[in-house]
Amino acid sequence: MGRSSKKGPYVDPRLYEKAEAQLSSGARDPIKTWSRSCTIVPEFVGLTFMVHNGKQHIKVFVTEDMVGHKLGEFSPTRQFKGHGGKGGR
Amino acid sequence: MPRLLGVDIPSEKKTVYSLQYLYGVGPRVSRELCHKAGIDPLGKARDLQEDELARLAALLDKDYVCEGQLRRQVAQNVSRLKDIGAYRGLRHRRGLPVRGQRTKTNARTRKGPKKTVAGKKGVKDLR
Repeated sequence: MGRSSKKGPYVDPRLYEKAEAQLSSGARDPIKTWSRSCTIVPEFVGLTFMVHNGKQHIKVFVTEDMVGHKLGEFSPTRQFKGHGGKGGR
Repeated sequence: MPRLLGVDIPSEKKTVYSLQYLYGVGPRVSRELCHKAGIDPLGKARDLQEDELARLAALLDKDYVCEGQLRRQVAQNVSRLKDIGAYRGLRHRRGLPVRGQRTKTNARTRKGPKKTVAGKKGVKDLR
C-alpha cells in the first residue's frame, strides 16, 4: 500500500537541509547518507549522494528521471556471486 | 471476421467478449465501449456492421490507449527504469520478478521454463 498523500512524500529533513545548503552554495560534494527511504525530490536533481547499502556508500548521481523514487532504489543491497562452481559441495 | 485497429480480428463470440481480444481492452473497457457506441454487447461480433465498427474504432482512438500504443508505453516505462539504474530496472534486466516475490521456488512466469542444473550427489551415491 502506498503512503497517504495527505502527508506528502517522505523526505529526510536533515538530508534536505544539506541538499539545500549545497544548492545555495553551489558546492557539489557527494552527500553521504544512510537515508535510503528518503524520496528524491526535484531539488535533488544534479546533486550526488553516497547512499549506504549496508556495507558501503554507493555513488548516486540524481537525474530528472529519478524524481519520485527512493534513494535506496539506486544502491543495491545484495551482491550475487553465482551458484556452484569448483568445490561447491 | 470483423477487423478493428488494423490487425486484430475478434471472433464468433459475443461483442463484449470479442472486444477483449484487443490488447488493453478488458471487461470494463469492453462494456464501456459497447455502451458508448450503442451496440448490443451480447450480439455476435460477426453481426457488427461497418458503421458500428467505425464507431468503435473512433472511440478507441479517441479515449483509450491500446494495442501498439499501449505496448510502446509499457516498454518505455520499463526502459526508463533500466536507464536510471533503479532496483526495479535491474530486476527487469535479469528477467526476475520485480515486486519482491520469492525466487527460491516459483517465479516461473518471469524465469521461464525450468533449467535443471546438475546437482551435488545424493546421500546414497556418496557411499
